[in-house]
Amino acid sequence: MKISLNWIRKYVDLPEDLSEKQIAYDLTMRTVEVEDLIDTSLKYHNIVVGKIINVNQHPNADKLKVCTVDCGLDELKEIVCGGLNLYEGQYVAVALPGSSVVWHGEGEPVKIKENKLRGVKSYGMISASEEIYLGDIYKDEPENIMDLGKIEDIKQDELVAGASISDVLNLNDFILDIDNKSLTNRPDLWGHYGVAREIAAIYKLKLKDLLDEQINIQDYKSLPKYKINILEKEKCKRYLALKIENLYVKESPAWLKIALKSVGINPKNAIVDITNYVMLATGQPNHAFDSNQVEGEEIVIRNATKGEKIVLLDDNDLELSTDDLVIADIEEPMCLAGIRGGKKDSVLDSTESIVLEIANFSPNTIRKTEQRFGEKTDSGIRYEKGIDTERIDIALDLSLDLFNKIYPENKITAYGEVTNEHTASSEIDISQDFLDRRIGTKLSEKDIIDTLSILGYQIEVRDKGAYKIDKSIRKDSNGNPIEDKYYHILAPTWRSTGDVSIRDDILGDLARMIGYENFKRKPLPVEFNKAIKQPKEELERRIREYLSFRCNFYEIFTYPWVSDKYINAINSDIEKMVKLATPPSPEQAYLRSTLITGLLESAEKNLRYFNEFNLHEIAEVFEKGKYSPSTDEEILPIQKMMISGISVSNSNEKAFFDIKGVLESMSRYCHMEDFTFKKIDKPSWADENAYLNILSNENIIGSFGLVSLKSLHESGINNPAVAVFEIEMSKLKPFTSRTNKYISLPVFPQVEEDLSIVVDEQIKWKDIHYAIINKCNEVKFKEVYRGKQIPEGKKSIMFTISIGSDKGTLNSKQIDKKMRSIIETLKKLCGAELRS
Amino acid sequence: MSISFEKIREDGLKKIDEAKDVDILQDIRRELTGKKSVISDMLKKLKDLSPEERKSFGKKTNDLKMLFFEKIEEKKNELINNSSSVSSDFDISLPGNLIKQGTLHPITQMQYDLNDAFRSLGFEIFKEDDISSEKFAFDNLNFPPDHPARATMDTYWIDGTENKRGTKRLCLRPHLTGASVRYLLKNGAPARFVYPGRVYRNEATDARHERAFFQYEALVVDKDISFSSGKLMIDTIMEKVFGRKVNTRMREGFFPFTEPGYEIDMECLVCNGKGCKVCNGNGWIEVMPGGVIHPNVLKSANLDPDVWSGFYTNIGLDRLVMMRYGVDDVRLFHSADLRFLKQFR
Repeated sequence: MKISLNWIRKYVDLPEDLSEKQIAYDLTMRTVEVEDLIDTSLKYHNIVVGKIINVNQHPNADKLKVCTVDCGLDELKEIVCGGLNLYEGQYVAVALPGSSVVWHGEGEPVKIKENKLRGVKSYGMISASEEIYLGDIYKDEPENIMDLGKIEDIKQDELVAGASISDVLNLNDFILDIDNKSLTNRPDLWGHYGVAREIAAIYKLKLKDLLDEQINIQDYKSLPKYKINILEKEKCKRYLALKIENLYVKESPAWLKIALKSVGINPKNAIVDITNYVMLATGQPNHAFDSNQVEGEEIVIRNATKGEKIVLLDDNDLELSTDDLVIADIEEPMCLAGIRGGKKDSVLDSTESIVLEIANFSPNTIRKTEQRFGEKTDSGIRYEKGIDTERIDIALDLSLDLFNKIYPENKITAYGEVTNEHTASSEIDISQDFLDRRIGTKLSEKDIIDTLSILGYQIEVRDKGAYKIDKSIRKDSNGNPIEDKYYHILAPTWRSTGDVSIRDDILGDLARMIGYENFKRKPLPVEFNKAIKQPKEELERRIREYLSFRCNFYEIFTYPWVSDKYINAINSDIEKMVKLATPPSPEQAYLRSTLITGLLESAEKNLRYFNEFNLHEIAEVFEKGKYSPSTDEEILPIQKMMISGISVSNSNEKAFFDIKGVLESMSRYCHMEDFTFKKIDKPSWADENAYLNILSNENIIGSFGLVSLKSLHESGINNPAVAVFEIEMSKLKPFTSRTNKYISLPVFPQVEEDLSIVVDEQIKWKDIHYAIINKCNEVKFKEVYRGKQIPEGKKSIMFTISIGSDKGTLNSKQIDKKMRSIIETLKKLCGAELRS
Repeated sequence: MSISFEKIREDGLKKIDEAKDVDILQDIRRELTGKKSVISDMLKKLKDLSPEERKSFGKKTNDLKMLFFEKIEEKKNELINNSSSVSSDFDISLPGNLIKQGTLHPITQMQYDLNDAFRSLGFEIFKEDDISSEKFAFDNLNFPPDHPARATMDTYWIDGTENKRGTKRLCLRPHLTGASVRYLLKNGAPARFVYPGRVYRNEATDARHERAFFQYEALVVDKDISFSSGKLMIDTIMEKVFGRKVNTRMREGFFPFTEPGYEIDMECLVCNGKGCKVCNGNGWIEVMPGGVIHPNVLKSANLDPDVWSGFYTNIGLDRLVMMRYGVDDVRLFHSADLRFLKQFR
């Protein structure tokens, strides 16, 4: 929302030494976020009043004139101009070199330079109003330039050559651009008067009355009644209609147009401009109907009937639902209540009388209808914040004042008002002790009253009885309240529609007005009663760090919604998956039930730039089911934190055993109970020959393995080998402390021998290890070889065994004996041949 | 015996002196003092000499042997001290062997830095699941029944629950604050905890807006605690995370679950508060909304608002990380792009 400081100055006298920047800063600190401060005079920089001394025909162009102009500079300047209304002695707007203008009022601003036009030097440009951003305010005849002497608002003695055009036309202003989001809870700030009140409160200044002279409404109340029929009392608490005749459509005075334009509203005609001005001043939307179009001289506020339509200004139909509140005459709806008018009731050039509506609609109904039609209007935005019913009165005052000023000949011929409910002031009791405790410093009664009164609160000090309204009041050793004073407070109605209702709200107003930066910074109280010990948290961190720092995995985050493509690629069971009602896109409606999909998608993306890499992700997956983390009534789907990783490389062996290696060392490095591997249940993404389940106490807690060719293919991954793992975090059991065990170093030397054997392909390492581990201290795998010297269907396995005795050093005879026994066993149990 | 001790000595010392490396020196040692050396020959002849001759000849021979040993050792030390393991062309400008190490995501890094800072102040870490209910995401937190954030346009509701209410209407949590009531229901007060995590909003994405992003929230609940403790706490945390004092300011803000509410801005670290593109020219970045916990929220957590009070601090993790590294597109955090992630090693 835009706020003009010139407009604010009508309601509060700002000290001369108070800079606009300071106001923007203080408002941001105390009230609402000012996102930008715009100096409007910058737009008119170097555009000045020029006096034409003489006008001569251009030597080379029939349609151009060469003017000698006094621009208030050291010498007269020649300016080429094509305007039809040039004359000697004329006061014009000259855009000097360095200024910016908009050619013919269209497109982006262009910088003016000293130039030659058809061979004649031209020092700048004599401008039409639309070229210097004033087309909406001062309209020129076609092909004419702006004739300043003919503008009524300008006093002739201000027309001095060289004077800045923004000074002369009162265009110097500062605009505060306020973040609408910071205003959502403050319906009172959606007009200049409300913002002026805040500024007055911040600087302890006097807020003037909205009007200099009070308008006597009683006069109107005795007029013939304008018929108002509210059928939806909940949705419309108050409605006021005024029939104003003897009007005609004309342009607004310049000051009004400048005011509207400064805050981004385009002037239309005086009637519409008045309604907009009233809204921007008071925050109260209002609407003018062409009274001839109101059939039956009656306003009906009702829900739309089924199939009813409103024809909009652009001739499009708006189809209504039975929840939409409309303003109708006795025949049909004229406009969407509080949001937008229709074609029927619009103020047109032919309009001679209007019905002025100033009404209160419930925020709910406005918001719902806006949502249904997907549009927000200036009026709707204000209503949906919750406006108090009493604001209608000041909006009426201001409207009447403006109509009287701009249409002195107007006649008010009928008045109607229906009030179903007045906004009640919030009544709040707040103890001095509560304020002292929560603010952390003691505020004086005077400070409290001064601060709150400017904001519109009525405060009654009650010296005794706080203990009755505040049960947590601090007491002395005799059980008497230390401070028994409290304040009985009436909030202003404009703050009583939800914004202020409890004592904490009063505390908030005091805190912000004193200024958060003015409070003493207090340390948090510290109590040493326990050390923070969260083994599961610490385990998760160790696992992330293990994967990233020791195992060369990059941590990634992917979205919880997963594309259908990947769901299909790994054959996820869609029946079990949780679905979003309004997903980011139709093919991303399901929430992941495994992290593998995200890993595959990420691998596919990264394969464009990298051949080999490892990624890991720790995140939640979802599955239909029942889970109640906090209360029995709340039943959520099953949500599991998973640890996952992917290894992309050129060889299946490397990918598989890299992942296996990571998992084998994980428990040791991360200080948790170990898990085992067993092939039991193939995950949907796994290659049927190369996967293992991960088990803890016989229960499957995860899996790893190569990704099946089908899954890879459908994920768009073609060449490389890919292995993945996934483990359920909650099934891992952290050690409460470090548990490394020390085993005494061997007293007698151990002998290490390398063995190379040839076995059938179906013999697994596990078989070999199992066969001889009882005869050795250690059996360490080195490598597998298949190739020239090895027959088809066989493989060579090399490993190192370590033998020794705890009784003495083995001599060569003993060693030979042990080795023979080992080789014999390998032959018998594994059919192994020693490779020479 | 016509042996010139002098000559043997001179020749031997010359050879030793001229030895170019340790291997050659080893050969010289063998030649001079080994089994087939001159010295060895001379010692063999000792038995043929008269006792007197033997005595002086033996001593001379031994002295010579000792001298050679000494000189050889000297030369050896000299050679070792002055020689290199590699040639002088050894290319020391080649890069070192690569350490294979991945990274924690920059968001995780920041989260852990904050965890460390908060834990040093006695905060526990708490986690809530991603899917929550309207009851916890909105009702408990004093959001009015018709608050726009409850609409499907803002929040990701779970299919089949979107038209229900309260505990029956489920969503991907739109903020972390719901977790605060879960923790308080479970653990009661006083409490001091942080709860980091990912939150979800149904909105159009661009360089500054994401559908999934990270927050880090802290809550202190205690008896008669004043919100002025919040600012000091934040300043302490920021200083610990950024390694230097970061200017902050506390200003008016509004959130349904706080009263009063405030925004904490930090001075833009890109321009040091002078105003730049990152901070939209005003020198401050909005990073931490917060405020005093609303009495209605305490009631949701079965706590008596007359007894307990406290304050929230919600840190926008994405924005803080963007500020720390000058990252210009929030979508990179969910891109899984290694070209991005590799920069945070």
